[in-house]
Amino acid sequence: MSYPIASSLLDGIVLAVVERESTYGYRITQDVQKVLEISESTLYPVLRRLQKDGCLSTYDEAFAGRNRRYYRITDHGRALLRQHRIDWQNYRAGIDAIFFGG
Amino acid sequence: MNRNDYMSALRGALSVLPDEERASALRYYEEYFDDAGPENEQKVIEDLGAPEMVAAQILADYRELTAAPAQSGAAGGSAAPRRGWRGINPWLLALLVLLAIPIGIPLAAALGGVLISVLAVLAAAVLVVVVLVAVVPFVLLVGGVAFIVCSCFVWWHPASALVTLGCGLALLALGALAAMLMIKLCTLFLPPIFRGFVAILRWPFDRIRGVKK
Repeated sequence: MSYPIASSLLDGIVLAVVERESTYGYRITQDVQKVLEISESTLYPVLRRLQKDGCLSTYDEAFAGRNRRYYRITDHGRALLRQHRIDWQNYRAGIDAIFFGG
Repeated sequence: MNRNDYMSALRGALSVLPDEERASALRYYEEYFDDAGPENEQKVIEDLGAPEMVAAQILADYRELTAAPAQSGAAGGSAAPRRGWRGINPWLLALLVLLAIPIGIPLAAALGGVLISVLAVLAAAVLVVVVLVAVVPFVLLVGGVAFIVCSCFVWWHPASALVTLGCGLALLALGALAAMLMIKLCTLFLPPIFRGFVAILRWPFDRIRGVKK
Protein backbone atom coordinates (compact mmCIF):
# COMPACT_ATOMS: atom_id res chain seq x y z
CA MET A 1 0.00 0.00 0.00
CA SER A 2 1.28 3.48 -0.77
CA TYR A 3 0.17 6.77 0.72
CA PRO A 4 -0.15 9.99 -1.28
CA ILE A 5 2.69 12.35 -0.43
CA ALA A 6 1.75 15.82 0.77
CA SER A 7 3.84 18.50 -0.90
CA SER A 8 5.09 19.82 2.46
CA LEU A 9 6.32 16.33 3.34
CA LEU A 10 8.13 16.13 0.00
CA ASP A 11 9.76 19.51 0.75
CA GLY A 12 11.05 18.12 4.05
CA ILE A 13 12.34 14.94 2.44
CA VAL A 14 14.22 16.83 -0.28
CA LEU A 15 15.72 19.19 2.31
CA ALA A 16 16.87 16.21 4.38
CA VAL A 17 18.45 14.51 1.35
CA VAL A 18 20.30 17.68 0.33
CA GLU A 19 21.38 18.36 3.93
CA ARG A 20 23.30 15.04 4.06
CA GLU A 21 25.46 16.19 1.17
CA SER A 22 25.17 18.67 -1.67
CA THR A 23 23.91 16.71 -4.63
CA TYR A 24 22.29 16.94 -8.07
CA GLY A 25 18.85 16.41 -9.54
CA TYR A 26 19.22 12.84 -10.83
CA ARG A 27 20.75 11.61 -7.56
CA ILE A 28 18.06 13.28 -5.46
CA THR A 29 15.40 11.60 -7.55
CA GLN A 30 17.09 8.21 -7.15
CA ASP A 31 17.48 8.67 -3.38
CA VAL A 32 13.89 9.71 -2.84
CA GLN A 33 12.61 6.92 -5.11
CA LYS A 34 14.31 4.35 -2.87
CA VAL A 35 11.66 5.04 -0.23
CA LEU A 36 8.78 6.74 -2.00
CA GLU A 37 6.87 6.07 -5.17
CA ILE A 38 7.26 9.41 -6.91
CA SER A 39 7.35 10.15 -10.60
CA GLU A 40 10.65 11.25 -12.18
CA SER A 41 9.13 14.60 -13.06
CA THR A 42 7.93 15.42 -9.54
CA LEU A 43 11.15 16.81 -8.14
CA TYR A 44 12.13 19.59 -10.51
CA PRO A 45 9.24 21.88 -9.47
CA VAL A 46 9.98 21.10 -5.80
CA LEU A 47 13.69 21.92 -6.18
CA ARG A 48 12.91 25.11 -8.10
CA ARG A 49 10.44 26.24 -5.47
CA LEU A 50 12.78 25.51 -2.57
CA GLN A 51 15.50 27.40 -4.42
CA LYS A 52 13.22 30.42 -4.93
CA ASP A 53 12.15 30.33 -1.31
CA GLY A 54 15.79 30.55 -0.30
CA CYS A 55 15.94 27.05 1.23
CA LEU A 56 18.37 25.73 -1.39
CA SER A 57 21.09 27.37 -3.42
CA THR A 58 22.80 26.00 -6.50
CA TYR A 59 26.32 25.91 -7.82
CA ASP A 60 27.88 24.35 -10.90
CA GLU A 61 30.74 21.89 -10.82
CA ALA A 62 32.59 20.39 -13.75
CA PHE A 63 31.89 16.71 -14.24
CA ALA A 64 32.79 14.50 -17.21
CA GLY A 65 33.40 17.48 -19.49
CA ARG A 66 30.24 19.32 -18.61
CA ASN A 67 28.81 21.40 -15.79
CA ARG A 68 26.61 19.65 -13.29
CA ARG A 69 24.26 21.69 -11.16
CA TYR A 70 24.47 20.89 -7.47
CA TYR A 71 21.98 21.81 -4.78
CA ARG A 72 23.14 22.91 -1.35
CA ILE A 73 21.00 23.62 1.73
CA THR A 74 20.95 27.18 3.12
CA ASP A 75 20.58 28.32 6.74
CA HIS A 76 16.97 29.11 6.02
CA GLY A 77 16.53 25.61 4.61
CA ARG A 78 18.11 24.09 7.74
CA ALA A 79 15.72 26.02 9.98
CA LEU A 80 12.79 24.82 7.91
CA LEU A 81 14.06 21.23 8.04
CA ARG A 82 14.25 21.41 11.87
CA GLN A 83 10.61 22.42 11.92
CA HIS A 84 9.75 19.59 9.49
CA ARG A 85 11.43 17.08 11.84
CA ILE A 86 9.44 18.32 14.83
CA ASP A 87 6.18 18.27 12.85
CA TRP A 88 6.91 14.78 11.59
CA GLN A 89 7.64 13.43 15.07
CA ASN A 90 4.35 14.81 16.37
CA TYR A 91 2.50 13.42 13.38
CA ARG A 92 4.11 10.00 13.71
CA ALA A 93 3.46 9.91 17.48
CA GLY A 94 -0.22 10.57 16.82
CA ILE A 95 -0.52 7.84 14.18
CA ASP A 96 1.52 5.38 16.31
CA ALA A 97 -0.79 5.99 19.25
CA ILE A 98 -3.79 5.03 17.14
CA PHE A 99 -2.10 2.10 15.38
CA PHE A 100 -0.32 0.53 18.34
CA GLY A 101 -1.98 2.10 21.35
CA GLY A 102 -0.38 4.82 23.45
CA MET B 1 11.17 9.29 -29.74
CA ASN B 2 14.77 9.98 -28.75
CA ARG B 3 16.27 12.42 -26.30
CA ASN B 4 16.40 15.31 -28.79
CA ASP B 5 12.76 14.87 -29.78
CA TYR B 6 11.81 14.75 -26.13
CA MET B 7 13.70 17.91 -25.25
CA SER B 8 12.35 19.91 -28.18
CA ALA B 9 8.80 18.83 -27.31
CA LEU B 10 9.43 19.95 -23.74
CA ARG B 11 10.89 23.25 -24.97
CA GLY B 12 7.76 23.85 -27.04
CA ALA B 13 5.42 23.03 -24.18
CA LEU B 14 7.29 25.47 -21.90
CA SER B 15 7.27 28.35 -24.39
CA VAL B 16 4.90 30.43 -22.24
CA LEU B 17 7.45 30.60 -19.42
CA PRO B 18 9.90 33.53 -19.10
CA ASP B 19 13.25 32.73 -20.72
CA GLU B 20 15.07 32.25 -17.42
CA GLU B 21 12.49 29.81 -16.04
CA ARG B 22 12.39 27.81 -19.25
CA ALA B 23 16.19 27.65 -19.48
CA SER B 24 16.41 26.40 -15.90
CA ALA B 25 13.87 23.62 -16.46
CA LEU B 26 15.43 22.54 -19.76
CA ARG B 27 18.88 22.48 -18.22
CA TYR B 28 17.62 20.29 -15.38
CA TYR B 29 16.22 17.71 -17.76
CA GLU B 30 19.27 17.83 -20.05
CA GLU B 31 21.39 17.03 -17.01
CA TYR B 32 18.91 14.38 -15.98
CA PHE B 33 19.52 12.61 -19.29
CA ASP B 34 23.28 13.13 -18.94
CA ASP B 35 23.37 11.69 -15.42
CA ALA B 36 21.17 8.74 -16.33
CA GLY B 37 23.62 7.90 -19.10
CA PRO B 38 23.01 7.26 -22.80
CA GLU B 39 22.25 3.57 -22.13
CA ASN B 40 19.21 4.59 -20.08
CA GLU B 41 17.87 7.15 -22.57
CA GLN B 42 14.74 5.17 -23.47
CA LYS B 43 14.06 4.26 -19.85
CA VAL B 44 14.28 7.92 -18.78
CA ILE B 45 11.86 8.94 -21.55
CA GLU B 46 9.45 6.24 -20.39
CA ASP B 47 9.81 7.13 -16.71
CA LEU B 48 9.42 10.86 -17.22
CA GLY B 49 6.23 10.39 -19.22
CA ALA B 50 4.84 12.67 -21.92
CA PRO B 51 6.76 15.97 -22.17
CA GLU B 52 3.42 17.80 -22.08
CA MET B 53 2.71 16.28 -18.66
CA VAL B 54 6.17 17.23 -17.36
CA ALA B 55 5.64 20.76 -18.68
CA ALA B 56 2.17 20.95 -17.10
CA GLN B 57 3.67 20.16 -13.69
CA ILE B 58 6.31 22.87 -14.09
CA LEU B 59 3.76 25.40 -15.29
CA ALA B 60 1.33 24.62 -12.47
CA ASP B 61 4.04 25.10 -9.89
CA TYR B 62 5.30 28.28 -11.52
CA ARG B 63 1.77 29.72 -11.52
CA GLU B 64 1.48 28.94 -7.82
CA LEU B 65 4.80 30.68 -7.16
CA THR B 66 3.88 33.84 -9.02
CA ALA B 67 0.39 33.89 -7.54
CA ALA B 68 1.86 34.12 -4.01
CA PRO B 69 5.01 36.25 -4.41
CA ALA B 70 4.81 37.50 -0.79
CA GLN B 71 5.71 34.06 0.56
CA SER B 72 8.84 33.60 -1.45
CA GLY B 73 9.79 37.25 -0.86
CA ALA B 74 9.51 36.82 2.92
CA ALA B 75 11.81 33.82 2.74
CA GLY B 76 14.55 36.18 1.55
CA GLY B 77 15.40 34.03 -1.45
CA SER B 78 17.06 35.21 -4.60
CA ALA B 79 13.61 35.58 -6.15
CA ALA B 80 13.25 39.19 -7.09
CA PRO B 81 9.69 40.41 -7.65
CA ARG B 82 9.14 39.17 -11.13
CA ARG B 83 6.42 39.84 -13.58
CA GLY B 84 4.20 36.88 -14.27
CA TRP B 85 3.66 35.75 -17.79
CA ARG B 86 5.44 37.49 -20.53
CA GLY B 87 3.07 39.82 -22.29
CA ILE B 88 1.92 39.43 -25.85
CA ASN B 89 4.19 37.71 -28.36
CA PRO B 90 6.24 40.42 -30.17
CA TRP B 91 5.41 39.01 -33.60
CA LEU B 92 1.72 39.01 -32.80
CA LEU B 93 2.06 42.57 -31.55
CA ALA B 94 3.76 43.64 -34.79
CA LEU B 95 0.98 41.99 -36.78
CA LEU B 96 -1.66 43.77 -34.69
CA VAL B 97 0.07 47.11 -35.23
CA LEU B 98 0.17 46.49 -39.00
CA LEU B 99 -3.50 45.57 -39.02
CA ALA B 100 -4.36 48.62 -36.94
CA ILE B 101 -2.73 51.09 -39.38
CA PRO B 102 -5.70 51.31 -41.83
CA ILE B 103 -8.03 52.02 -38.93
CA GLY B 104 -5.65 53.88 -36.67
CA ILE B 105 -4.44 56.58 -39.07
CA PRO B 106 -7.91 57.75 -40.22
CA LEU B 107 -9.10 57.55 -36.63
CA ALA B 108 -6.20 59.70 -35.44
CA ALA B 109 -6.82 62.15 -38.30
CA ALA B 110 -10.52 62.35 -37.46
CA LEU B 111 -9.77 62.93 -33.77
CA GLY B 112 -7.28 65.65 -34.72
CA GLY B 113 -9.85 67.27 -37.00
CA VAL B 114 -12.49 67.25 -34.29
CA LEU B 115 -10.03 68.78 -31.82
CA ILE B 116 -9.06 71.54 -34.27
CA SER B 117 -12.69 72.38 -35.10
CA VAL B 118 -13.63 72.53 -31.41
CA LEU B 119 -10.75 74.95 -30.82
CA ALA B 120 -11.82 77.01 -33.87
CA VAL B 121 -15.41 77.26 -32.63
CA LEU B 122 -14.17 78.34 -29.21
CA ALA B 123 -11.93 80.99 -30.78
CA ALA B 124 -14.80 82.23 -32.97
CA ALA B 125 -17.12 82.50 -29.97
CA VAL B 126 -14.51 84.49 -28.05
CA LEU B 127 -14.03 86.75 -31.09
CA VAL B 128 -17.82 87.38 -31.43
CA VAL B 129 -18.11 88.26 -27.75
CA VAL B 130 -15.12 90.61 -28.00
CA VAL B 131 -16.61 92.30 -31.08
CA LEU B 132 -20.01 92.68 -29.41
CA VAL B 133 -18.42 94.04 -26.27
CA ALA B 134 -16.44 96.61 -28.24
CA VAL B 135 -19.05 97.45 -30.90
CA VAL B 136 -22.28 97.91 -28.88
CA PRO B 137 -21.07 100.77 -26.64
CA PHE B 138 -19.18 102.28 -29.61
CA VAL B 139 -22.35 102.33 -31.78
CA LEU B 140 -24.42 103.77 -28.95
CA LEU B 141 -21.88 106.52 -28.29
CA VAL B 142 -21.49 107.39 -31.99
CA GLY B 143 -25.31 107.38 -32.42
CA GLY B 144 -25.69 109.71 -29.44
CA VAL B 145 -23.10 112.14 -30.78
CA ALA B 146 -24.78 112.00 -34.23
CA PHE B 147 -28.20 112.82 -32.77
CA ILE B 148 -26.75 115.75 -30.78
CA VAL B 149 -25.05 117.10 -33.90
CA CYS B 150 -28.31 116.67 -35.85
CA SER B 151 -30.22 118.60 -33.20
CA CYS B 152 -27.96 121.60 -33.87
CA PHE B 153 -29.14 121.67 -37.52
CA VAL B 154 -32.85 121.69 -36.62
CA TRP B 155 -32.71 124.32 -33.85
CA TRP B 156 -35.30 126.47 -35.76
CA HIS B 157 -37.86 123.77 -34.93
CA PRO B 158 -37.30 123.88 -31.17
CA ALA B 159 -39.52 120.90 -30.44
CA SER B 160 -37.77 118.62 -32.94
CA ALA B 161 -34.39 119.92 -31.90
CA LEU B 162 -35.11 119.21 -28.26
CA VAL B 163 -36.42 115.68 -29.02
CA THR B 164 -33.35 114.92 -31.14
CA LEU B 165 -31.04 116.40 -28.51
CA GLY B 166 -32.81 114.38 -25.82
CA CYS B 167 -32.54 111.18 -27.83
CA GLY B 168 -28.85 111.89 -28.50
CA LEU B 169 -28.12 112.51 -24.82
CA ALA B 170 -30.07 109.39 -23.87
CA LEU B 171 -28.08 107.29 -26.41
CA LEU B 172 -24.83 108.83 -25.16
CA ALA B 173 -25.79 107.95 -21.59
CA LEU B 174 -26.75 104.40 -22.66
CA GLY B 175 -23.46 104.10 -24.57
CA ALA B 176 -21.45 105.26 -21.57
CA LEU B 177 -23.37 102.85 -19.35
CA ALA B 178 -22.88 99.97 -21.81
CA ALA B 179 -19.17 100.78 -22.13
CA MET B 180 -18.73 100.75 -18.36
CA LEU B 181 -20.72 97.50 -18.12
CA MET B 182 -18.65 95.85 -20.85
CA ILE B 183 -15.37 96.98 -19.28
CA LYS B 184 -16.58 95.55 -15.98
CA LEU B 185 -17.61 92.30 -17.71
CA CYS B 186 -14.28 92.07 -19.51
CA THR B 187 -12.26 92.48 -16.33
CA LEU B 188 -14.47 89.85 -14.69
CA PHE B 189 -14.67 87.22 -17.41
CA LEU B 190 -11.85 87.67 -19.88
CA PRO B 191 -8.97 86.44 -17.70
CA PRO B 192 -10.73 83.18 -16.69
CA ILE B 193 -11.81 82.54 -20.29
CA PHE B 194 -8.28 83.20 -21.48
CA ARG B 195 -6.85 80.94 -18.79
CA GLY B 196 -9.33 78.19 -19.69
CA PHE B 197 -8.39 78.46 -23.34
CA VAL B 198 -4.70 78.20 -22.54
CA ALA B 199 -5.40 75.23 -20.26
CA ILE B 200 -7.25 73.42 -23.06
CA LEU B 201 -4.34 74.03 -25.42
CA ARG B 202 -1.79 72.87 -22.85
CA TRP B 203 -3.69 69.75 -21.77
CA PRO B 204 -2.37 67.36 -24.45
CA PHE B 205 1.22 68.52 -23.91
CA ASP B 206 0.93 68.07 -20.15
CA ARG B 207 -0.43 64.59 -20.74
CA ILE B 208 2.54 63.69 -22.91
CA ARG B 209 4.97 65.09 -20.35
CA GLY B 210 3.11 63.32 -17.55
CA VAL B 211 3.45 59.97 -19.31
CA LYS B 212 7.18 60.46 -19.81
CA LYS B 213 7.81 61.20 -16.12
